Amino acid sequence: MAILEELLTILAAVGMSWARMTVALIVSIIFSLCVGIPAAVNRVVEKIVIPALDILQSIPILSFFPIALYVFIIIHPVIGPELAAIFLIFTSQAWNIAFGVYKSVRLIPPELLEASNALDLGLWRRLSSLYIPAAFPGIASNLPPSWANGLYFLVACEIITIGEAEWSLFGIGTLSTSYIMAGRVIEFIASLVVVVAAVILTNLLVFIPVMRLSERYKFEERAAEIPRVWIERVSGWLSRMARRISFSLSPRITLFELRIPSGAPRILLITALAVVVTLLGHSISGRVSAGVTLAWAQDIVEAFQRLGVVDPLVMIGFSLARVSAAVAFALLWTLPVAILIYEKGMLEKILIPLFQIIASFPATLILPLIAKAVVDLGLPLELGALLMILLGTQWYLLFFLLDGLRGIPYEEEEVCKALAMTRLQKLRHLYLPRMLPSLIMGLIVCFGGGWNTLVIAERAILGEFTWDLGSPGIGRMLSIAVDEGDLALLIAATIWMAGFIVLLNRLLWRRLYEKAVKMVGVA
Amino acid sequence: MNGPSIKEPILELRNIVFGYRLRKGENIRIFDDLSLDVKYAEFIGIAGPSGCGKSTLIRIMAGLIKPEKGEVLFRGKPLKKPTPRIGIMFQSPALFPWYTVLENVMLALIHEKDLSENDKIERARVFLDMVGLTAFESAYPAELSGGMKARVALARALVSQPDLLLMDEPFSNLDPLTAISLRREVESLWLNQSMPPSSVVMVSHDIEELVELCDRIIVLTKRPAKIAGVVEVDLDRPRQRRSPEFYKYVDEIYTLLS
Repeated sequence: MAILEELLTILAAVGMSWARMTVALIVSIIFSLCVGIPAAVNRVVEKIVIPALDILQSIPILSFFPIALYVFIIIHPVIGPELAAIFLIFTSQAWNIAFGVYKSVRLIPPELLEASNALDLGLWRRLSSLYIPAAFPGIASNLPPSWANGLYFLVACEIITIGEAEWSLFGIGTLSTSYIMAGRVIEFIASLVVVVAAVILTNLLVFIPVMRLSERYKFEERAAEIPRVWIERVSGWLSRMARRISFSLSPRITLFELRIPSGAPRILLITALAVVVTLLGHSISGRVSAGVTLAWAQDIVEAFQRLGVVDPLVMIGFSLARVSAAVAFALLWTLPVAILIYEKGMLEKILIPLFQIIASFPATLILPLIAKAVVDLGLPLELGALLMILLGTQWYLLFFLLDGLRGIPYEEEEVCKALAMTRLQKLRHLYLPRMLPSLIMGLIVCFGGGWNTLVIAERAILGEFTWDLGSPGIGRMLSIAVDEGDLALLIAATIWMAGFIVLLNRLLWRRLYEKAVKMVGVA
Repeated sequence: MNGPSIKEPILELRNIVFGYRLRKGENIRIFDDLSLDVKYAEFIGIAGPSGCGKSTLIRIMAGLIKPEKGEVLFRGKPLKKPTPRIGIMFQSPALFPWYTVLENVMLALIHEKDLSENDKIERARVFLDMVGLTAFESAYPAELSGGMKARVALARALVSQPDLLLMDEPFSNLDPLTAISLRREVESLWLNQSMPPSSVVMVSHDIEELVELCDRIIVLTKRPAKIAGVVEVDLDRPRQRRSPEFYKYVDEIYTLLS
């Protein structure tokens, strides 16, 4: 009976977490429609919305969470944490859906727009009979990756400690962490199994049917193939998911259609955003006076002064080294594996579904396990951090590389064969050039995931137990600020980190990507 | 007839059997015991209804596809894999977009260990000059027109100085004027005995193109492909498409096809 009870608890926890994610997903869809359609229809809106979305998806969500939490708790102390959790999940699900809506609506053939003009459809009719149906495929295909993203962050936002105050929401993240901390391995494994099963079921029962339904809303003639056998289905959505992630996270849209902000304005925008969010929180709470607002601004300025310039740079340096090491390691194994899978069709059938199931699994769930194992076994803490970051990033890279390889036109393969190239020659003349853009894109996404994981990997409070690297790190700084309830410091550190990431994206990654696309001559 | 008259085969297909297996387990026979010869200094055309396996046949000749049964002999020896002695030009130019025109052509010299980098550049330039693209050697494929890309593909197929050139619908994606000039170039290259290739095999669905260029046209039946007939074209070069004799051959091939 105890087993059954435990299982019921796990199921209830998964149910609660799923409910949170569903609410967040619905909000994401509404948000995406409200933002994506105007952006696709109106040039002015487009110029504001698209770069803003691009920034929003490139900053580490986890670091903004305590700020959001603070705001929501001011709104309502009881349901505040719940709202904050939903908000965080929303921020991890919304951007790619919004991009999807924007893209789909942009794809509406001009004739259809002209027809609706000729019919003189009103705003509501236009929305209900043209824009929303047109946006449907863009939403549908982004559901699985959004769900996976949400799941990743869900675990992190169910338990929150700010200073003395601690909130823990009932859900699978809280439950599995408590299992691990109590050393209840069997229950922990059971909860993992239930999560995997729930992910697969959700996709089979909800997302795949929705995606199938959305096929008929597409403007392209050729419908995408949705496989039939269930394992193929799973692998199908997963590969689709990987592709979608690759698309939604790719800065292509902004790269080629718009180029507004350079590094500096972006940081300003982020700073402004952070300030607006905090001010908004205050004004909503109804306790704001000009004096309080000013005091806040002063707090943040003072926090920046406390941080100085050298310390944050050192922390970022350490963090960058960690993420780079993890990414380098990921590259080391994914590159040969991707090529092997591409060349051997049989391997693909076995390994890809397997990898995709593992990849769909929220790595954040296993982080407590790694933390505990590393400490118990007395392994170097840095190794634990490396492993955590690796778990959060490596799959992206593998799927991106595979995507690049799969894009190789058959004729080019045939030329290599006709020229009797050796494998090494083929690697040099065909694989590497063809992979280059998706390799860089994969690295961008990989680094993005790495920065996000950093917020947990460098320091995390897991129940009674504190995982702490001890050495400098910007993620650790964030965690400490949260722990001490020092929101001004948190905002300052977040701006440092987000600013650096945006700068890195702008100055290094995008340039590299553009260069690669230009050099290779393929997008 | 043109060229040296050493009438022995450069390439022999002996009793080729080949099929594709569909997912349902059904086998599609493409060739069932097909044999044919390509002789030295011969320009051969292959015609046949669409889907009869013309492109597959070219790939078997190139060593890109292995037949299930039967033998491919190149200069008397079994052909196990593609060799630089056989050049191939595909229906699409299939140039590497990240390499310049010159680099694309040099790629075909990848196995020439004896040549220095400079020798390779020299050799590639000779062939680019031959197809009239000297001025474009540092251009990238994306900057070229369809006809120019086809010329690069031709230079790449010939730079290893093959004895045999295989062409799979090489002119089908080109505009008519470009196709005319490219056909002329291929013909004059083949006629020039000091230049490769000795023999050419061309697959095409354009019957007039075949009659214009080929000594011998092998007409295939639909699947599994057998030889419906062989038409020997005995006209002086360059051949005039408007002459009645020309049309006699064209009609003969159409009769075999239907």
